[in-house]
Amino acid sequence: MYPITHILSCSPAHEVAALSATVLARYPAEALVFITEPRTALVQLRMAEGVAESQFNAGEILVSEALLELAGHFGFGMVIGRDLQHATALAILDAALRMPGDPHADLRPHIDALSAALAAAQERRFAAAAATRVVFDTF
Amino acid sequence: MGYVAARGGTEAVLRAEELAAALRLLGGSDPLQLPQISDQLRHAVSRAMHEGALYAPLLAALAVKQAEGDSIEASFLLRAYRTTLTRVMATLPASGRTMACMRRISASFKDIPGGQMLGPAQDYQIRLLQPLLALEDGDAVAQALARYAALVAVGAPQAGEIGHFPKVADYLRAEQLLVAPPAEVEDEPFDLTRQALIFPCPRSARLQALAQADSSSLMTFAYSSVRGYGDAHPTLAELRYGYLPIQVAHPLTGEAVTIGEIEATECEIVSKAHSVSNSSAPPSFNLGYGFAFGQSEVKVMSMAILDSVLTQARLGSLSGNSGPAADEEFLLLHCDGIEASGFTAHYKLPHYVTFEADLRVLDRARKHHAE
Repeated sequence: MYPITHILSCSPAHEVAALSATVLARYPAEALVFITEPRTALVQLRMAEGVAESQFNAGEILVSEALLELAGHFGFGMVIGRDLQHATALAILDAALRMPGDPHADLRPHIDALSAALAAAQERRFAAAAATRVVFDTF
Repeated sequence: MGYVAARGGTEAVLRAEELAAALRLLGGSDPLQLPQISDQLRHAVSRAMHEGALYAPLLAALAVKQAEGDSIEASFLLRAYRTTLTRVMATLPASGRTMACMRRISASFKDIPGGQMLGPAQDYQIRLLQPLLALEDGDAVAQALARYAALVAVGAPQAGEIGHFPKVADYLRAEQLLVAPPAEVEDEPFDLTRQALIFPCPRSARLQALAQADSSSLMTFAYSSVRGYGDAHPTLAELRYGYLPIQVAHPLTGEAVTIGEIEATECEIVSKAHSVSNSSAPPSFNLGYGFAFGQSEVKVMSMAILDSVLTQARLGSLSGNSGPAADEEFLLLHCDGIEASGFTAHYKLPHYVTFEADLRVLDRARKHHAE
């Protein structure tokens, strides 16, 4: 089972957006306040290299970021690429799933379904590579 | 002697740009769509990204299109674009250990834990042109999907198997076969985008410079070192390509948040056994590291060879003529494709004043020679 942020950031954006729409439907429009407008930005990739496990800056990654409050609860969403809708949906879900009392627990079966679909897709992806396994004999 | 002004240039420059833009489509072919480039010119997109030091596949596809396939120009466009955006944070340290591998090979050991997978590779093909590619149509897509499905069936998906493997370098380390790299203490890794290189530089600066270097330059320097102008004798410990999950710290809780995956290639290369001068440590292998966005194998292998050469040069463990690639300052100041191409290309710009001075010097020299 993947962590929730892994599931949501790696799942199709439109399915994550549909989940966030479910959350938003439970609040009046004014409950959603953007701290900063969703934007594209950069994050610096820190790699732990394979010799001494020391860190170096390996380049930057284009991301979309959203910072907001939903009914007074902070939400953070970030996703690789230029997809402000996906980032916003992630931030809404981040806020919703952190709320005290877990009022949006009913989302979790949907997230589990996304997780299962993601796992199946990644297992298929790897299976295509696994078809190229090679075994060397010694003569 | 002085500044030479020219008039009428603006209109000529604008028309030159128009002519270049027109020539791209003058043949009447359909304009390239970005998904076509990112899907079908994967290596060109990878190269634009790692040399541009920006992971953004669709923007890289746009850069490749705009540059008409010129890799340095495409990476230049990405680096320029990069300066227009705010850097909001650094990621949490990512490790190749978490990569979902699509390709994993070792030239050191035939049997490695988890086994070897050739993955998507053209290394094993006979280099003959395939004329049928010129005749591809929509049916080719359906055929590719069917071939992929057949490969998936052969690979037989297993629950939980997504391509995680241990590192070959860990085995070498556990067996105490590797020399310990020089200890360096840094609060933060060096950042070339904010700091000027000063030599000797920390290894983090070296790795960042090599990761965004021109692939061909790195290959040439590494080749010189292995062919005779150096003392490198590399063996590929492991090369892996696949999908690397990226995490950042949640700004409120500090918890790790996954923001998606990037395609990346990394490798470790072992050098031949060296005794370390002025050391009582037993002779050991040296290890070099290479990393690049996308699938970029010659780049990461060249990087790893050069990393190892520079480490050995610093340890004083190179024997014989160490060659130009072991000179850290020479290598790192001449491997950036954008800087190198910019400096070279600038000679196309008017140099009327300096050349006028050269002419006068030549004239005086000739008079002196005649006397």
